[in-house]
Amino acid sequence: MREIFGKLLAAAKPVAGLAAIVGMLTPTMGRAESGADLFKSRCVACHTVGGGKLVGPDLKGVADRRSSAWIVKFVQSSQTMIKAGDPEAVAIYNEYNKMPMPDWPLSPAEIESIIEYTKSAAGDGATAAAAAPAPPPKATAEEIALGQKLFVGSVRLANGGPACSSCHDVANDAVISGGVLARELTNAIGRSGHQGVRSILGSIPFPVMQKAFEGKPLTEEEITALVAFLDSENASHKGAMPRDTGIKLAAGGGGGAVFLFLMYSVLWSRRKKGSVNQAIYDRQVASR
Amino acid sequence: MDVRSQVSMVFHLDKCIGCHTCSIACKNIWTDRKGAEYMWWNNVETKPGTGYPTKWEDQRIYKGGWERTGDGVALKGAGKRRGLTNIFHNPNLPVIDDYYEPFTYKYLDLIESPAGDDQPTARPISMITGEPMDIKMGPNWDDDLSGTPDYARNDPNLEALSPAEREAMFQLERMAFFYLPRICNHCLNPACVASCPSGAIYKRGEDGIVLINQEVCRGWRMCVTACPYKKSYYNWATGKSEKCILCYPRLEAGYAPACMHSCVGRIRYLGVMLYDAERIERVASSPTEDLVENQLGMILDPFDPEVILAAKANGIADSTIHAAQNSPTYKFVKKWKLALPLHPEFRTLPMLFYVPPLLPVMASVKPVDNEQQAEKMHEIAKYWPDNWLYDTSTKDLWGTLDQVRMPLKYMASLFSAGDTEQVKDRLKKLMAVRVHRRHTTVGDIDAEQAQRALFEADLTAELADEIYYLTSLAKFNDRFVIPAAHREQAIEMLEFAGDVKGSTGFGFKSGSATRGS
Repeated sequence: MREIFGKLLAAAKPVAGLAAIVGMLTPTMGRAESGADLFKSRCVACHTVGGGKLVGPDLKGVADRRSSAWIVKFVQSSQTMIKAGDPEAVAIYNEYNKMPMPDWPLSPAEIESIIEYTKSAAGDGATAAAAAPAPPPKATAEEIALGQKLFVGSVRLANGGPACSSCHDVANDAVISGGVLARELTNAIGRSGHQGVRSILGSIPFPVMQKAFEGKPLTEEEITALVAFLDSENASHKGAMPRDTGIKLAAGGGGGAVFLFLMYSVLWSRRKKGSVNQAIYDRQVASR
Repeated sequence: MDVRSQVSMVFHLDKCIGCHTCSIACKNIWTDRKGAEYMWWNNVETKPGTGYPTKWEDQRIYKGGWERTGDGVALKGAGKRRGLTNIFHNPNLPVIDDYYEPFTYKYLDLIESPAGDDQPTARPISMITGEPMDIKMGPNWDDDLSGTPDYARNDPNLEALSPAEREAMFQLERMAFFYLPRICNHCLNPACVASCPSGAIYKRGEDGIVLINQEVCRGWRMCVTACPYKKSYYNWATGKSEKCILCYPRLEAGYAPACMHSCVGRIRYLGVMLYDAERIERVASSPTEDLVENQLGMILDPFDPEVILAAKANGIADSTIHAAQNSPTYKFVKKWKLALPLHPEFRTLPMLFYVPPLLPVMASVKPVDNEQQAEKMHEIAKYWPDNWLYDTSTKDLWGTLDQVRMPLKYMASLFSAGDTEQVKDRLKKLMAVRVHRRHTTVGDIDAEQAQRALFEADLTAELADEIYYLTSLAKFNDRFVIPAAHREQAIEMLEFAGDVKGSTGFGFKSGSATRGS
């Protein structure tokens, strides 16, 4: 059994996201895996160690920022912590576009071993490089077409899961009546990246979606097709997602207004200001 | 030659007593309305003084009138480019505080207050807000030099004088002032018409009266800025601008405008003048020193057969030409050259002319024996045993002109764009007429001296008597020669009178009544 999964894992190497799925499908079995293996199989889809942010934060030095107990709790069920109102958890959740981290059925010891790994791999360029997301393979037209069919449900999902358009919508003429129960997905790839969407589809983090797909997981081909479809949607609606300029836009507007007013006051500096009688009025004594 | 007729005015400033009757007559008829309370289509200013609105003559503040450019004239503070850059905020406009906040009094409090320990008081109430207010300013706050440091010394025309000359004007026993009544000048080159973005202002073809069409006015207020005389006012209640209409409904009915009709001093004259419209642009853009001469030059002789022919070709009625020949304004302005336009340097070619005031002349008190004179008087006549004479005669004839209390330079700044010779010329004539009449009626000036005065002023005894007549004895129809409006012809421009020929009787418009209907 273990070998089979190992081979599968090896075969799926180019598709880094698969690791997460496979990882999920192989919950704590047999002897404990090393922290490195656990990280590579489960975390690498969304996290790096010293390689910068991906879908989730860079885990370099995570042990210094948070206590082990906090990390264990967060990994096992981040949504429980967020609902309980843990301020740090909520801050992280908000910082990463409210993208929930899947609940991992890992033992505290396994999580500890991953933390140990992040410590040892800190600053390890090789790890960072390995963890860097592999460029997504170019999707074929067939994949995109299949993804669209899967999305609207004209091709059923192999394991009997509901079609995406039951709850989601995209801005595509072919998707006539997308659902409005869940989030609009036109720019999903833009928001979460290939890895993010892949890992979401592989290990569904949203409670409602989890229920809907309980026992009916998406297959690897379906995920690839859906990601390809959503990617093409994102590409054709790039302008629909305005660039986040942060404070620059407001500051630029405010600064521009100040500049304009300054320029006006210089250009019109010789204009008539107030009444020619003002000096007389100023000397007059008011009765009230 | 493009001959047109213009109703023009002459105000004889020597005769103005500053009673403001003209202003009240105008206000009662035209501007006693909401939004128009602060408008004084006619106002009387004391000179030296700042006028109404304050310092209206200072175009560095208000940017009114025309400026000479390379080959013509351009509006100083309005026009297409400036209009566009100032479209949302026109900073050159006078604000209500440059005029005054109009007020009334709570008169009813005087009669309706309950009995109390004190007399009730009528408090001033703002006619804009309706709230009690402190009166800070009025339309003639500088009347009779009141508040001299604030008003008289701030007269923009004083800039033409040296500091010493200015000081001399305000020395206690030399201080003098005169009145300057002002209405719309109904200019030949009106800046208000040129500035209007809506095309609401027009100069009437038949008599040259400048009017604002209230249906077309969009309240841009460019005319308020453009008029250098500040005689276009914005009505804040209707959102449209208004100005003096020269009482055209009265003129069309043959009456003099209300301000002129009511004038106590009979200083106002109104009549038609024919002018050459082809020359407007050339005259308006002529060098400052030639402005007055050129403006007088474009006024045509209504007796010249060529002018009459051209006038008829332009559709000017015989009655109008006849009125132009009898026009008192033509006599004052062109024939006798006694009147000058107000601030010709604004280049609007104003058609309201002023006879500059000669008074007060310098005089001396000399002792005389009045006994003989006293004996001639009736026994009940009031008699003061004074043995002195307030002597305005002089041995060196024009010597007093250079010593007049109101310096020539000041007058020239008002009436001739700084050319003192023009003013001196007018004053000389006024003085010559006075010398001539004194010779005729009083007889204490000998004939030789009177003749010399007339000769040097370029007058004859006949002309002097004519001037004297129109100045002092003129009757209503001499002062106002109003041409027929020819309404019967005007209506033919709008409808064909032949359509209703034969249907006269009761009900002109709807046809005559028929039996049984």
